[in-house]
Amino acid sequence: MISALTLAERQLAIAVSLLLALCGLAMAIAGRDDLLGVHGAIVLLFGIGGIFLVLSKYFEPEPSDERLTRYYDDPTKVGIVLSLAWAVVGMFFGVWVAALLAWPDLTFDAGWASFGRIRPVHTSGVIFGFGGNALIATSFHVLQRTSRARLPDQFSPWFVLIGYNLFCVIAASGYLMGLTQSKEYAEPEWYADLWLVVVWVTYFLIYIRTLQRRKEPHIYVANWYYMAFILVVAVLHIVNNLALPISLGSAKSYTVYSGVQDAMVQWWYGHNAVAFFLTAGFLGMMYYYLPKRAGRPIFSYRLSIISFWGITFMYMWAGSHHLHYTALPQWVQTLGMTFSVVLLVPSWASAGNALATLNGAWHKVRDDATLRFMMVAAVFYGLSTFEGSFMAIRAVNSLSHYTDWTVGHVHAGALGWVAMITFGSIYALVPWMWKVKQIYSPKLVEVHFWLALSGTIIYVFAMWNSGIIQGLMWRTYNDSGTLAYSFIDSLVAMHPYYIARTVGGLLFLIGAIVASYNVWMTIRMARSQAPEHAAEADIPAGTALQPGE
Amino acid sequence: MGLDHQTLVAFAKSWGLFYLIALAIGVLIYAFWPSNRKRFDRAKKSILDKDDRPGD
Amino acid sequence: MPNFHRKLERSAIGFVLAIIGVSAIGGFVEIAPLFTIQETVEKAPDMRVYTPLETAGRNIYIREGCYACHSQMIRTLRDEVERYGPYSLAVESQYDKPMLWGSKRTGPDLARVGGKYSDQWHVAHLINPRAVVPQSVMPKYGWLMRTELNTADLGQHLAAQRKLGVPYTETQIANASADAYGQASPDSPYAGGVGERYGEATNVRAFDGEPGRLTEMDALVAYLQVLGKLTDAAHKQTAATGK
Repeated sequence: MISALTLAERQLAIAVSLLLALCGLAMAIAGRDDLLGVHGAIVLLFGIGGIFLVLSKYFEPEPSDERLTRYYDDPTKVGIVLSLAWAVVGMFFGVWVAALLAWPDLTFDAGWASFGRIRPVHTSGVIFGFGGNALIATSFHVLQRTSRARLPDQFSPWFVLIGYNLFCVIAASGYLMGLTQSKEYAEPEWYADLWLVVVWVTYFLIYIRTLQRRKEPHIYVANWYYMAFILVVAVLHIVNNLALPISLGSAKSYTVYSGVQDAMVQWWYGHNAVAFFLTAGFLGMMYYYLPKRAGRPIFSYRLSIISFWGITFMYMWAGSHHLHYTALPQWVQTLGMTFSVVLLVPSWASAGNALATLNGAWHKVRDDATLRFMMVAAVFYGLSTFEGSFMAIRAVNSLSHYTDWTVGHVHAGALGWVAMITFGSIYALVPWMWKVKQIYSPKLVEVHFWLALSGTIIYVFAMWNSGIIQGLMWRTYNDSGTLAYSFIDSLVAMHPYYIARTVGGLLFLIGAIVASYNVWMTIRMARSQAPEHAAEADIPAGTALQPGE
Repeated sequence: MGLDHQTLVAFAKSWGLFYLIALAIGVLIYAFWPSNRKRFDRAKKSILDKDDRPGD
Repeated sequence: MPNFHRKLERSAIGFVLAIIGVSAIGGFVEIAPLFTIQETVEKAPDMRVYTPLETAGRNIYIREGCYACHSQMIRTLRDEVERYGPYSLAVESQYDKPMLWGSKRTGPDLARVGGKYSDQWHVAHLINPRAVVPQSVMPKYGWLMRTELNTADLGQHLAAQRKLGVPYTETQIANASADAYGQASPDSPYAGGVGERYGEATNVRAFDGEPGRLTEMDALVAYLQVLGKLTDAAHKQTAATGK
C-alpha cells in the first residue's frame, strides 16, 4: 500500500503519524495516573506503527502517472477485510452477552467481562466496526464508479480508514476498562470523539473533492445517501457529544446537557444514528449493488429521489418516540410519534423500489445467494420499518418499551437489513476488487445465507415472544386489583427465550465466520492466479484487468 | 436566551408544518418534471455501463 | 425549480448545504424549545445535589453499564406507578449529567430504589445477586468491595459540573474528598461536615459495613440509597393529583 503513495504523500504520512504519536505521548504522560494513559499508549503505538510502515517502503520507486487512469481500490480492499474482522469480533461479543442473560456466571468474576462492559463492545463492534468499515469501503468504490473519477489522492483514504479503526479500537478497549459516557451508541469519551471529528471531516472532504471532479453530470442517488450519512452523522456526533472533561489528564467528562434535555438530545442522536448510519448509508449500498448485481437498472429513479428527501427530512423529527410517557413534554412525544408513522411511506418506497427492481430477475435470485442476501435485506428493511412505525405509536410503545421487543426490532433491522445488505454487497464486490471470475466458493455463500436467515428468524421470534410476554406480565392485574406478577416472575419466564436468542446469534456468528473464510480464500486464490503480478500486488495499476469486467 | 419557551414551541408547531409541506411539494415537482425524465433514465442506466477506468 | 435543483446537483457543495438544511431544520425546530425547557420543569427548591460519594457511586454505575439493564424513569402508567412508585418528574433528573433514564429493563426500574432495601441487602446482592435472589441474572460485582475508592479527583468532578450549571458551592468543591470519606465513616471527624453542606437528611453510614475503609462498594450503595430521595416533589405531585 505504501508503494502506491507518491513521495510527497509518504512524507505527509510520516508527518501525520509522528503527530499522532506525539498526541499519544502527551495523553500517556498527562494521563499517567488515569486510564487515559492506557489509551495514550495505544495511540502512541498506532503512530509509531504508521511511521515504521511508511519508512519500510519509503525508498521504493514512486508510482507512475499511469495510476491516474485507474480507480484507487486498495483502501476498499483493506476496508472489506477489516469489516469482516470486526463482524466476527462484534458478533462473538454479541453471542457472549446473550449467553450471559441465560447463564449469568460466564463473567468469571472479572470486571471487564460483566454484561454492562461487554455489551457496548458488541454494539459498537457491529455498528461501527462492521457496519462503519463496510460503509467506508463501499462508499469509496461506489463514489469512484458513479462519478467516473479517481479518489483525489492516495493518502487521505488511508487516513480515514486507519483513523476510523483507531477510533473503534479506543472505543472497544475503553469499554472493557470501564470508560464510557453511558450515552447509548455514543459511549466513547471526549478524546475519542474529538479524533472521530478529524477523521470524519477528512472523509467528507474526500467525498466532495471526488464529486467535484466527476465526469457524470448527475450525481447518482446512491451518493446522495452516502452524503447524507456522512453529513448528518457529523452533526449528530458533535451535538450529542459536547462535554467537559474534568481535566486534560483524565478520561472522565461531564456532558453539557442535563436531565430531560440530555434525554432529548441523546435520543435525537440515537434515533438518527439508526436513520443515517444504519439506514441512509446502507440504502446507498443497496441502490448501487442491488441493480448492479441483478444487471437491471433500479425500478424507479423518481421514487428513489422522493424517498431520499422523505427519509432525510422526517427521521430528524422522530427521535422523541423513544421517550413516550416519560417526563418529556407531551407535544414533543406526539410530534415524534406522528413523524415516525409518516416515515413508513418513504421507507416502504425504498424497500418496494428494491424488490420491484428484481421483478423479472427472480430466476437470478433463486440461483444466486448473493442477490438473495440483498433481496432478503430489502424485505427485512420493509418489515422492520413497519414495525418501527408501529412501535412508535404511544399505545403500542407503552407495552413494548423497556422490553425485549425493542431488542428484537433492532435486530430485525441490524441482522436482517444491515448485515444482509452488507454481506450481499461484499460478496458482489470481492470478485470485482480482486479481479477473479467469482468468489472462492458459491456453495459457502449459500451456506452462509441459510445460516444468516435462520439465525435472524430464531433471534427475532425469540425476542418478540419474550418482549410481549414481559410487557404483558408487567401490566397484568389479578382479580383483587393488584399486580399479578413480580418482576422476577417475568425474568424467569424469559429464560427459554434467552437461550433461543443465544442460539440464533450463534448461527449468525458462524455465518460471519464462513463469510470471512470464503473472502480470505478468494484473496489467496486471486494472489496465486496472478503470480506474475505478485511483486506489484499492492499497486492498483498492476493488477490485470479484463476488458468488459 | 431571549426567546421564551412558548414562542419557540408555537414556532416549531406552525412553521415546521409549512416547511414540511413546501418541501414535499418541491421534491415532487422536481421528481416529476417532464424534462428531468431523460436525466433520470440516463442516471439509472449509467451504473450498469462498463466501469474499468475513470472517465469511461 | 427544476433548474434550481439541477444547479444544486451540479455543484456538490450546494448539494451538501441542501442535505444539511433539510435534515437540520427538522431536528432544530424540534430541539430548539428544549433549550428553554427549564422554564417548564417543575420547581423543587428543596432538591439537593449529589454528595461527592454519591457522585462517585453514580460514576461507578455508569462505568459498569448498569443503565443497560436498569431504567431510572417511571412512566405515567398505572402498573408502573404501583410497581415502582410515583412517576418520575423532569425536575428529579435536573442535575443528572448524563441522565440515566435507560431504555431496557432486564432488571427492575431503580428510580425509587433508595431506602427500599437495607445497605446489607445491597452489599450482599452486589457481591452475589443469586445469594439473595436465586433467579437473578445480574452479574456479580464482588470486586467493588475489594477496590479502594479513588477520592483524589472528586473536587475536579464537582468543579466540572459546576461549570456546566450544577449548583455546587466553593466549600463543597474544596471539601469533596473529605466529605466522600466522612459520609461512609460516621465516627470520623469528617462526618459532621457532610450534613452541614448537603443537609441533615443525607445518609451518613458505613454503607459497605466496614467503617474503616472507603471502597467502591460504599460509593455505589450510597448512590443507590439516594435514588428518588433528592427531592420529594414526585410524592407531593402524586398526592396533589390524588386529591
